[in-house]
This record gives sequence, structure tokens and C-alpha cells, in this order.
Amino acid sequence: MKKLANALILVAVIMPMVAGTCFAQEAASQKEKAQLFRKGAQLWPVYCAQCHSPRPPGDYASYQWDILLAHMRTLGNIPASDANAIMAFLKGGS
Amino acid sequence: MALSLGGLARAADSDGSDAAALKEIRSEMRQLREERKRDREVIRSLEVKVQQLETKDSRVETTTQQLQSTDQKLKETTLELQQTNAQVKTLQTKVDAPIASSQFGDAFESYLGARRFVVTGTFQGSFQYDKATATNTFTLNWTPQINYELNKWTYFVGQLSGSIGANGASTFSMPVASVMMFLNDYMELYAGIFDNPFGNWYEDRSASWVNRFATAPLPFDGEPVGPPTDVGAQLRGGYQWGDLGQDVDYTVWASNGPSYDASLPQAVIGQTLNAFNGVTLNTNGKAGGARFRLYPIPLSAEWGRLQLAATTLNGKWQNNLWYNAWGVNLEYQKDALAVYGSWLSAYRQMPEGTPVGHDNRQGWYLEVDYALNQLAAKMTMLPNPVEQFVGRMLAGVRYSGVNQRAIVASEINTTPAPGFNGSLSIFSPHAREVATLLDYYFSPSIVWQNELDFELPQDGGSLVTFGGPGGAPLYTPFGTVHNDRTFITQLTVGF
Repeated sequence: MKKLANALILVAVIMPMVAGTCFAQEAASQKEKAQLFRKGAQLWPVYCAQCHSPRPPGDYASYQWDILLAHMRTLGNIPASDANAIMAFLKGGS
Repeated sequence: MALSLGGLARAADSDGSDAAALKEIRSEMRQLREERKRDREVIRSLEVKVQQLETKDSRVETTTQQLQSTDQKLKETTLELQQTNAQVKTLQTKVDAPIASSQFGDAFESYLGARRFVVTGTFQGSFQYDKATATNTFTLNWTPQINYELNKWTYFVGQLSGSIGANGASTFSMPVASVMMFLNDYMELYAGIFDNPFGNWYEDRSASWVNRFATAPLPFDGEPVGPPTDVGAQLRGGYQWGDLGQDVDYTVWASNGPSYDASLPQAVIGQTLNAFNGVTLNTNGKAGGARFRLYPIPLSAEWGRLQLAATTLNGKWQNNLWYNAWGVNLEYQKDALAVYGSWLSAYRQMPEGTPVGHDNRQGWYLEVDYALNQLAAKMTMLPNPVEQFVGRMLAGVRYSGVNQRAIVASEINTTPAPGFNGSLSIFSPHAREVATLLDYYFSPSIVWQNELDFELPQDGGSLVTFGGPGGAPLYTPFGTVHNDRTFITQLTVGF
């Protein structure tokens, strides 16, 4: 357990150094945004339906999807790039 | 002086008048000295006045400089005041103008900064009937979930669950209170009170509107194989290893581990796990768990989404006494079809002197759901309203069971509760259940669920009472088991 505690402390120390990379918002061109939207539209019914009926984009406001999809990314362990694509789709339609 | 010289000349010419002349000269000299003295005093007096005037002039000069400086400052202050007035006027103009509705969100968001709340949760109200005990009752549960985003990589989630309980009493609990931090694209820290990741069900499918059935499968119901919640920290993440849809994910955690019903006089086989773990329930040994999930099918293949998973939880449930559990999980979805299944096994080391060995428990379930929307679309002979009605329905069947060596008599609970049908048959060492359902979806998260359960326990196992000498545990054959039927109709709302 001591090793585990040390590992957790290590994580807490390195966390601020690497956290800045999360959910990186790159300046994407319109074409890249459209591709991201299409990818999200493809993933949304598949990933969400693993557990529940997919909630349509209009169920929540754009800023609400930020936190709700973060929670879904946690529970589903969704890869970051896929989560960003689903976010683009949901926000684009909300 | 010229007069004096003239006087001397005349004295030389006349001896008689020398003395008088000398006297006169002396008198004149005396007068001259006095005049010089007076002149010096006048000059000294004038010098003093000049010095005084010079001093006054210096003071006047200093004062003049100060006045000039003050005047400059006044000019600058006046200019600043004019600028401030102009800014105030500009702001006043903006304030007076009505805010557009589209701007309100941004303004409110700006006021709150990056910190934002979203309230989600579930509501469920049900009517339940159990044939064996001839009981029927309404139940109610409301579980709001508060989501709080601190920044783009940190957020909090807390659930408060309130239910109508037996005898008019209400029960409240806090099953989830956690903080999540995305450390990078592949790693996330999750700490607090959480649904146990052991197996998939508690974490992914236990919310009432997410679960297609009104009840939980037997391994996650009244006699669970693993602890439903735990307190600790997780490290988790996902990675796309192949084409789109081909993912792998991991969850590892350290926690308080399992804890058992503390109301019993002593630990016995068949003792029930506590539903809610907490600091005071298990402060002895700790536990570590892991879960790995693989998604082998790419989306482009259009063969559906398949998940294969393995999970384990190991630790001390009491000092020097082990709890070891493992399980496998299967999930598959394609179009209208969804399949879920789990196999879980747990071993609990018992204290020395326990008469019938150690506590072993296995549980499993297999669930098949089918949404009728595609079927309804093919039934062209039906009137349109009927087709739409059928298209909102989902049918399902689930087989689940638990094997354990004993049931503790004092832990048998037949009081119905939200998500629990209250059947006595669930508290059998070899419980089996076939559950069927027909759901109607008003919307993706508002569901009317109708579930008919067939409880089909098998013989075998022991019943534990504390009727031995001095209240010692007594293990007796469980005796005859009875089949049972229950019906639940429930409205559940995810918001």
C-alpha cells in the first residue's frame, strides 16, 4: 500500500505539468471542423448506445455538454480524440 | 577736507589765530568722525534690510514654484476627470441598452468564470406486486446529480439519493461524491466515493433510466458478489489501438475494499456486503482492483460494437482475512439488438473456527434487448399511429443467478424498494431469475418500464441463525425453496 500511496503522490506532483494538454483546442480550419463533426456524428450513436439511449444534441446547451461529456468520457473511458469529435457533434447541434 | 587745508594755510600766516583754528579743525574732525559713525550705522541698517528683503524674495520664489506645481497637478487631475466622465458616459449608455437574449448566456458565464454547474439525475416511481408475499406497493426515488466543472480538466460529481422506505420513513444516501482530473489524453485521476468498477454494471448501467429493466440482475441485487460502491482513487483512460472503434481501456484503483453487514454478532458465511462503503465501515485492510476492456471490431466493418472485459478486486475485508474476486464481461450492440453479460466470482477468507469452510459466491447474468422500431417500420400493414406506438417499444429478457453457500436469516429483506422487487426467493443460496420486460420510450430518457420476474431458486445451501450456545452461529440446511412471480411497472426519467 505504501508503494501505491507513493505512486498516487507522484501522480499528484506531475499532474499540473501535464494537465495543460487536455482537451486542447487547436485552431482548426473549417474543413477540419467539418471532418470532426462528421466523425462525432458517426461515433455518437455507437458509443452512447453502449449503455443508454443516445441523448440528442438539443437536450442540453453547448456549455452543458462540456461537463456532461467529460463525465461520459470518464465512465466510458472514451479515447480523447473520439470524445472531442463527439463534443464537436453535440455542440454543433445544440 | 579742502576747508581744513585752507584753515591750516591761514594758521601759518597768523600765530594768534592758530589755536582757535586748531580748535575749530578738531571740532570739524570730531563732527566728521561722528558723521562717519552715523553713516556706518545707516549702512549696517540698510545691509540688514537688504538681507531681509533677499530672504523674503527667496521665500516668494519658492512659494511661486509651489503654486506653479500645484497648478500643473490641477490641470492633470482635471484632464483625468474629463476622461473618467467620458468613460462613465460610455458605460452608462451600454447599461441603459437592453441585453439581447443571445448575450445573456455569455454574460452569465463570464460572471461565473469557468466554474459551471449542471444538475442531472433520475426520478423513478413504480408500482410493485409480489405474489408470494401478496404485497403491492408504490415506491419512489429521486437522485439528483450535481456536476460542477472547475476547469477544462477538473470536475466534481455528487449524487444525493432519496427514497420512500418502509413504514413511511424516507432513506437518503450519497452513493457518489467524486473529483475527476484529466491528467493527459490517456490518463485520468478519479477519487472519492464511486460506483464500483468491478464488473460493468454498477458504474455503467445502474442508473434507473439507463437500465432497461426496473430491477438489477441478481449478482448486483440483494445478495451482491462485489461491493456496489467504494471509497478510494482510480487511474483510468482509453486508447484507440487500431481503426476507428478499435479501442482498449483500463481502470485501476485502490480503495477501502469490501465491508460486510456489521449488525451481525460475528462474521458468518453468506453475510451480505454493505451497499454503501464508507470511512468507518472498513479501516483495516485495503483493496486494489483492475479492469481492462477491449473493443476489437472497427466501425467501418459495420458488424456492431463488441466489448470484452476482465476485472478483478483483491484485498483484506478484515485484518489478515482476504477477499479475492474476478470476473469477465461481454457487451454487444448492433442496430436494434443489445446483449449484456457478466460472470463474477468471489472468495472470502473466514476467521479460524468457522465450521463450514470459507465464503464462496458466484453470480452471472445474460440480457438480450431488442428495440421494436425497425420491426415496426417493416409492418406496413399497420395504421401509422400503431406503427409509431410499436416503434417506441423495447422488449427484453434477462437470466441471472447467484450461487453461495448460505443465507443469513436475519438479513432476509422482503420490503420492496426502488429497483428491488422484494421477493423472498432472491434470498436463496442458489437464486435464479428470469426477467422479461416491455418498455415504452416517450423520449430517449423518459421510459415507462414493465417487468415481469420469475424467481426460480434451486435447492441446496444453508441457513445461518445465531441460535447456537451463547448466540453462536448455527448452520442448518436451507430447506425447500419456492418459486415466485413479481410484477413492476415503473416510470423513470433521466434529466
